[in-house]
Amino acid sequence: MDRQQEFVLRTLEERDIRFIRLWFTDVLGFLKSVAIAPAELEGAFSEGIGFDGSAVEGFSRVYESDMLAKPDPSTFQILPWRSENPGAARMFCDILLPNGSPSHADPRWVLKRALAKAADMGFTFYTHPEIEFFLLRGRPEKGGLPEPIDDGGYFDHTPHSAGHDFRRQAIMMLESMGISVEYSHHEGAPGQQEIDLRYADALTTADNIMTFRLVMKEVALEQGIWASFMPKPFTRYPGSGMHTHMSLFEGDRNAFHEAGAAYQLSKTARSFIAGLLRHAAEITAVCNQWINSYKRLWGGAEAIAGAGGEAPSYICWGHNNRSALVRVPMYKPHKGASTRVEFRSLDSSCNPYLAFALILAAGLKGIEEGYEMPPEAEDDVWALTSRERRALGIQPLPQSLDEAISTMEHSEMVAETLGEHVFDYFLRNKRAEWREYRRRVTQFELDRYLPVL
Amino acid sequence: MGAGPRFRTTAGRLAALGFADGARAERLLRGLGPEAADDLELLDDLATAADPDLALTSLSRLTDREPGISAALRADPGLRRRLLRVFGLSAALAEHVVRHPADVGRLGGPGSPGSPGSAGGAGGAGGAGGAGSTAPSYEELPRAVQAGHEHPLDVLRVAYRGRLLRLAARDVMGEASLIEVTAGLADLAAAALEAALAIARAETEDAGDVRLAVIGMGKCGARELNYISDVDVIFVAEPAEGVEETHALRVATRLAQAVMWACSASTAEGSLWEVDAGLRPEGKIGPLVRTLDSHLAYYRRWAKTWEFQALLKARPVAGDLELGHAYVAAVGELVWQASARDGFVEDVQAMRRRVEAHARTNARAGEADRQIKLGPGGLRDIEFAVQLLQLVHGRTDPRLRRRATLPALAALSEGGYVARDDAKALAEAYTFLRRVEHLLQLHRLRRTHVVPDDEADLRRLGRGLGMTADPAGEFTETWKRHARQARRLHEKLFYRPLLQAVARLPETQARLSPEAAAARLEALGYADPEGALRHIAALTGGVSRRAAIQRTLLPVMLGWFADAPDPDAGLLGFRQISDKLGSTPWYLRLLRDETAVAERLAHLLGTGRYVTGLLLHAPEAVAMLGSPAELAVRPAAALAAEAAAAVGRHGAHAESAVAAVRALRRRELLRTACADLSGLIDVEEVGRVLSSLADVTIQAALDAALNAVRDKMPGGADLPTRIAVIAMGRLGGMECSYGSDADVMFVHEPRPGASEREAAQAAHAVAEELRRLLALPAPDPPLHVDADLRPEGRQGPLVRTLASYRAYYSRWSSHWEAQALLRARFCAGDDVLGRDFVGLVDPLRFPVGGVSPEAVREIRKLKARMEAERLPRGADPALHTKLGRGGLADVEWTAQLIQLRHAAAVPELRTTRTLEALRAAVREGLLDPADEAELARAWRLASRIRDAIMLVRGRAGDGVPTLVKERTLVARALGYPPDGSEDFVDDYRRVTRRARAVVERVFYED
Repeated sequence: MDRQQEFVLRTLEERDIRFIRLWFTDVLGFLKSVAIAPAELEGAFSEGIGFDGSAVEGFSRVYESDMLAKPDPSTFQILPWRSENPGAARMFCDILLPNGSPSHADPRWVLKRALAKAADMGFTFYTHPEIEFFLLRGRPEKGGLPEPIDDGGYFDHTPHSAGHDFRRQAIMMLESMGISVEYSHHEGAPGQQEIDLRYADALTTADNIMTFRLVMKEVALEQGIWASFMPKPFTRYPGSGMHTHMSLFEGDRNAFHEAGAAYQLSKTARSFIAGLLRHAAEITAVCNQWINSYKRLWGGAEAIAGAGGEAPSYICWGHNNRSALVRVPMYKPHKGASTRVEFRSLDSSCNPYLAFALILAAGLKGIEEGYEMPPEAEDDVWALTSRERRALGIQPLPQSLDEAISTMEHSEMVAETLGEHVFDYFLRNKRAEWREYRRRVTQFELDRYLPVL
Repeated sequence: MGAGPRFRTTAGRLAALGFADGARAERLLRGLGPEAADDLELLDDLATAADPDLALTSLSRLTDREPGISAALRADPGLRRRLLRVFGLSAALAEHVVRHPADVGRLGGPGSPGSPGSAGGAGGAGGAGGAGSTAPSYEELPRAVQAGHEHPLDVLRVAYRGRLLRLAARDVMGEASLIEVTAGLADLAAAALEAALAIARAETEDAGDVRLAVIGMGKCGARELNYISDVDVIFVAEPAEGVEETHALRVATRLAQAVMWACSASTAEGSLWEVDAGLRPEGKIGPLVRTLDSHLAYYRRWAKTWEFQALLKARPVAGDLELGHAYVAAVGELVWQASARDGFVEDVQAMRRRVEAHARTNARAGEADRQIKLGPGGLRDIEFAVQLLQLVHGRTDPRLRRRATLPALAALSEGGYVARDDAKALAEAYTFLRRVEHLLQLHRLRRTHVVPDDEADLRRLGRGLGMTADPAGEFTETWKRHARQARRLHEKLFYRPLLQAVARLPETQARLSPEAAAARLEALGYADPEGALRHIAALTGGVSRRAAIQRTLLPVMLGWFADAPDPDAGLLGFRQISDKLGSTPWYLRLLRDETAVAERLAHLLGTGRYVTGLLLHAPEAVAMLGSPAELAVRPAAALAAEAAAAVGRHGAHAESAVAAVRALRRRELLRTACADLSGLIDVEEVGRVLSSLADVTIQAALDAALNAVRDKMPGGADLPTRIAVIAMGRLGGMECSYGSDADVMFVHEPRPGASEREAAQAAHAVAEELRRLLALPAPDPPLHVDADLRPEGRQGPLVRTLASYRAYYSRWSSHWEAQALLRARFCAGDDVLGRDFVGLVDPLRFPVGGVSPEAVREIRKLKARMEAERLPRGADPALHTKLGRGGLADVEWTAQLIQLRHAAAVPELRTTRTLEALRAAVREGLLDPADEAELARAWRLASRIRDAIMLVRGRAGDGVPTLVKERTLVARALGYPPDGSEDFVDDYRRVTRRARAVVERVFYED
């Protein structure tokens, strides 16, 4: 028993915790939970808690025997929301097999393996997500249309607005769970919020995103509203993305920073960006994993003329160019540690473990192979004609889940990073989702064809 | 020293006394002055020195430098003897005395007055502590250095060596035990660190802002230091009251650096030794100094088992002792809880494997076998093994919490954790090796651990150890004896006590309790320690000779089982085989005397059931494990001859003839399995060997069946027909696995004039008899002969004539049959007939102009349907080695389609073997080499998995196992580490995914 485990056991006693929720994540990014009583925790620390893996998306079919959830004591937090009273706490778990081998189906392990590879190259990977989501009135009902809680816009501060109260309480709750919030504001669309989490290593960030999504839903429920991370619930408003800032550190030195270089970007950073761009299409199926994700990626530009979409649909990079997939933000003098790149295609409903693992692997591949960064995109890419874009060598991201799957299918890099099991499962699951969607007759077709055909 | 009158010259007399160069010695003696030449006592002292020439040379240099010394030494014969003993071993200390003659006084023996205290003029504060047998204290050393001298580093070095000289004298005079000497050296090093710290404080700004403690680690911490080595330390600091921590740590870091430099820097007086702070948290990349809390935070969260092993030795040696003790107390708690940490068992196993592999390494050429520290069975191995046992058992038994090796070993022995005799022998070996190490290092005060191979050096070592008759020879002899002892230490330390735990020993003798034995077995990797103890008890109980041999054998075997994938199964199998064979005189003798046999047996038994099963039915085959030559594949012709002889011997008794052949087959299956698991043959070779073994078996069974049927013919006439067996499927492709059925077709040809009906009846009788004989219940594994691939399958006649085959194929043959015939190969019986059959089917399987487009479409459709329908319900298509994605069928159909299309034009493609066809296709430019590589990799891996499943489970299987335990064992049999089962599956999925991509492109032409 190590000291952290002892700390957890002591806290259970002192704070009168009655339940411990052991959290893990399935392949699609849904949070799963096994509740145990405090008396079982010591055993869980030493041997893990057995559960039936076949009930979990992506874990099934392969293993006949039980899997083990082994809590990571460094993730211990007391759950602050009312619905969990009396005292409940949570820990994230690693999923193991009875022989001690990590389960290759566990997304957290996939990320850990990618981070270990980075560590072998001397890097730690830090990320900082800006998470967007909508607050809607009431619970979603089948056939009903979503209704935002307000009519606000970017940075609006309406007096006594529900969104304002919501953010205040949500942030308090996040902070009480040890998740630091950098920034929060009303986003561009009615009812849309953005909350930015503080920089942290990628594993912690991914754990935090899982917690974040749950906290938002809990707080919303307490206030009688609904929080949704669906990438694009409204045709007329921009969707919810998760722009993610990232950097590699070597020890406590920012490996992306090089004083005096263009945009202060080191060779490492340039190759990392080149890797991200070259493999962007292959990792899209994971970064944007739902049918609906592609409505966000492709639904903005044409719909709102002039304003441009918020989503980056074309594979290019730029400096303060909001239309680029990879953006190099303004450099702040004397803050070498803050040099970073922003990856903008992610949406807030991705599986953060898998997405971060792939983003990191793509960047590392660029570093390993010494990819060269293509020229900067200086124009608003949406404003260009497709011929102009082709002339500049700017490729689009996949335009549908179907296209994204077909691109991913041929990627050795993705297979290598996700591991064969997750790779295989993910493709099968997404193909099934696409087939299901394809056979559906949509409202669009009814509205458009029924009257005239 | 008998310098007899037989020698006429002084030089001769001197040579007889032990000088290597008599003439030179004579010259030097004369140089000492007129009195010296006749001073018999002086000669006697010189002659008792380990190296008389070295002693005399040094004495001569000292006299040149300080002529007055001769008289002083003559006046104090005791002092002179001590001086010359030191001179005879150490050129370096002699050098010191020559430079600082006043230090001669420090050599004073028991009862002599204290030293003159003149070290570098350091204020007369010297006085080497009390004289006599009480251990000297070195507390005055820092004061001696502190006196504000201009070159404090020089003063430190001179003062240190003066005290070292005194200690060395007590050592070489035998006045101090090894434990006292090593403790004295550690205390002296600690005093030097204290002095260095004082120097550092004087030079460092704000030195008062921080409390700094120096923690001794390694041998310094354990108070078992040698004459010269790196001194391992860790620095701990706390801010003085009211001082900000960052600042304090900065000061502390400067102090620590200055301390290290003060010891290691080379000045006019040389250097002391390197101070190594590499054992600190995060090693060389971590901060040099941390606070106590920061240390503890690290150890609680991050430390690895080996770091706790290192912390066993921690002891405050200099600086703020209060802080140092606080550190050691806090860390001590963690150390003894280490065995309860995650991963401890795995770490210990890895560490143990390291010790064993190391100790087992056979002496290589070069330095390794002359290395007394790092060599096999050297000091490091002994220390490491003792520490490992301390960590395993020290949690529950505080008596084991000792820092130094010898006391720890004694405590392990008293507690029964190590057998008393073994502990004693190991302690002797350790003491001997340490003394040798000291003598080696004293010579030039160099950090060396290599025993020289120079005769003169060996002589000095031998004489230094008190061997006089044949010092070099006796030394080498003794050294080898101890090294042999130490090399088997893992067996003594780890395994033998387990036997005592279950033995009926007199109650008075301490021994491992059953609980401690179970804990140790578990730490060694046995999943069922209670069961293991029962087997050990059963094997070693009683007073029989057999039990006595088992008692010497089992400790070693237990270690080998622990290295095998399934230690429990290994031990169980060993018990079963020993129960069957125990009374056979050669069995245990073979295992005891032939280490390689025992080791291989342990590995095989602990790997899977197939070999265990074969051995249980015929344990005498253990003898086969004797040498790699025994495991070499037997040529098919030799086996065929042996089988034919067996059939000939048994004559009319077909059943006993085939029983003999099946025993031969079992023996060869075992040989192949052993060679396979020992990595001597690759998967293609395994397939070839197993297939030709099946050929031989079928041929012999056919001969026996022919005899049996012929005997029933009226008048013993010849059979009215000739018969041949055609191999199909995997057997045809020479790709059999251990459990493969033999796919065959039977063809016969009536002799001229014979009745068609009688011929057919006889042929049927032979084929039926052949199948019956090979499937008869017997202890030897059956060979199922499967003829379902024949025309019309099970509805068709079992045997056809050549003409009937011709008629059938010309009328009915399907694409599918042509494809199956690609595997057809003559296997047994009438070879002319066999060749005729092959000639008959060649136009079908190698169609001129290639197979038609419609046929290609049909073949693809059939394959696609098989993929959808043939998989067993619930099987994961990705993990089915035969029909799954990228599995055997995928690769084979791809090869076969290329053959059907091109073999008529390209004779190289006419082979029954998959990989050979693929290679030929590459040579002919019909297949991309990269694609061939992916296909072959998948085919080989799938085949290896199928073989491994059979070897592990003892029955065949098509799917990568879904049960974790089985999957782990299969992964181990394939060479993956203990927790590598999921990596194995990941590899299989990757290889087959890539192969499938090739199949989709090349076979389906997507």
